[in-house]
Amino acid sequence: MDIDIRHIAKLANLKIEEKDFARYQKQMQDIIAMVESLPEQKDFDQRPDPADAMELREDIVKPSMPREKLLAGAPQVEAGCVVVPKTVSE
Amino acid sequence: MELYKKTAAELAEMLAAGSCTATEIVEDIYAQIDAVEGQVDAYLTLCREDALAQAAEIDRRRAAGEKLPPLAGVPIAVKDNICTEGVSTTCASKMLENFVPPYSATVVDKLRQAGLITIGKVNMDEFAMGSSCENSHFKKTKNPHDLTRVPGGSSGGSAAALAACEATLALGSDTGGSIRQPAAFCGVVGLKPTYGAVSRYGLVAFASSLDQIGPMGRSCEDVAMLLSVITSKDELDATSTDCAHRDDYRAYLDQDVAGMRVGLPKEYFGEGVSQEVQSAVLAAADTYRRLGAEVVEVSIPSTAHALSAYYIISSAEASSNLARFDGVKYGYRAKEYESLTDMYVNSRTEGFGDEVKRRIMLGTYVLSSGYFDAYYKKGKAFQRQLCCEFEQAFAQCDFLITPTVPTTAFKLGENVDDPVAMYKSDICTVTVNIAGLPALSMPCGKDAAGLPIGMQLIGPKFGEDKLLSAGHAYEKATGWHYALPQIG
Repeated sequence: MDIDIRHIAKLANLKIEEKDFARYQKQMQDIIAMVESLPEQKDFDQRPDPADAMELREDIVKPSMPREKLLAGAPQVEAGCVVVPKTVSE
Repeated sequence: MELYKKTAAELAEMLAAGSCTATEIVEDIYAQIDAVEGQVDAYLTLCREDALAQAAEIDRRRAAGEKLPPLAGVPIAVKDNICTEGVSTTCASKMLENFVPPYSATVVDKLRQAGLITIGKVNMDEFAMGSSCENSHFKKTKNPHDLTRVPGGSSGGSAAALAACEATLALGSDTGGSIRQPAAFCGVVGLKPTYGAVSRYGLVAFASSLDQIGPMGRSCEDVAMLLSVITSKDELDATSTDCAHRDDYRAYLDQDVAGMRVGLPKEYFGEGVSQEVQSAVLAAADTYRRLGAEVVEVSIPSTAHALSAYYIISSAEASSNLARFDGVKYGYRAKEYESLTDMYVNSRTEGFGDEVKRRIMLGTYVLSSGYFDAYYKKGKAFQRQLCCEFEQAFAQCDFLITPTVPTTAFKLGENVDDPVAMYKSDICTVTVNIAGLPALSMPCGKDAAGLPIGMQLIGPKFGEDKLLSAGHAYEKATGWHYALPQIG
């Protein structure tokens, strides 16, 4: 099966270098061949198991993490905001 | 006194009796790390100063007559995908090389409340994707039983640190076998709890419907003690539950296996499983027979397809979970880019390793337009089918016994260029995650080369107490206890 590696990489926000292309193509084909062996399943019921039902928290306003603490790990910060390249043209 | 070789249960007893201090234990563990870490390479970060300060505080409180939890003063290694406030948490990835979490995972808070002392953060496959620890961006951890072999993965650092007595206990995480497979390769005990039994808050997500944090140690008793500390419902993880929660799993260790029914699922003993591994696991089943259990053959017919379903579901969830790593709010940002999209693409391309990229692309592919029904939907349907088969098996027996891995530890570099061969290492473990069940891996012998063989005990949901008691009964019946190998 032919997989369009460039298209998949683009959807995933990744870039595959030309030199790595053949290797990725081969490995992805092997992996897809493996997962394709999954047989058809009948009577698929998508409803969640009631025993596994999740319990949601009450929607209550609580103190959050201090802004500076959250921004301490950001690659570029200015005036308490995360800096990214300009996205709107004038 | 060689405190570093002791089990957590032994240390707890010594601490309570006043025959050693937490400071002595922690110093002894660091002395062992200084002696062997250069060869094993289990740790990514050591927390020596904080650990010694915490030990001193515990000693002070104990000396003042305060009644402390049983594991207060016992050293633990934490896998590097579990957030530790103020201590680097890298997921063994260049992407998070400089990431210092602003908060701790719920399990880490629980460790601290129980007085456990975090010795350091241990190596793993990048973002927990791998079966050998070779996918770490930083270093390759070695198997202490043979330094030319892998420790398994992805919690390879946790297992190797235990096997080299560089930690008394460890936390790992298990999405498809990542606690059990390295436990088997390194000859230690590892438990993947029932999905929901342990909070995942603060665990860097790989595949959210499969991930579980779990305890590792050198005996079933130690694993039971650590499990008691980390389980419980957490409002910060909506999938967590305290259904069938036990306050003290150690209290259940002496449940009698006589009269229990042990299931041998025939599909786990077929092609690809080495003769030595099969013989060791069947011999363990015989031990249970001698202890008064009845051994019955059962069937999980869908086992053969579990690996396919696992890679579809886990990769789909991973591609979605890892979309957050884009160089904006935290983590690695590329140095060169022109536009915002450029920044995303370059940061992700430079920050992720090969295996992570493969899984993200596989996940993107199976979720992409035109393929969703053919892959992801089919994978989820398979999940339901597999759960039914396990339910039918547990109607006939109390727990199942299988090999943990088809072989013993393979050589470093042996499978790095063949992802499919590497994936097959998880063939006996992935079914448990897909079905959300608990499973214990523990040593059951050695192969001709002296490498540990692991067996896997699989239980019904929230059957951890039964698995630990069965494991404990096996340890007692065989007189098994962990022996530190000669390293190097």
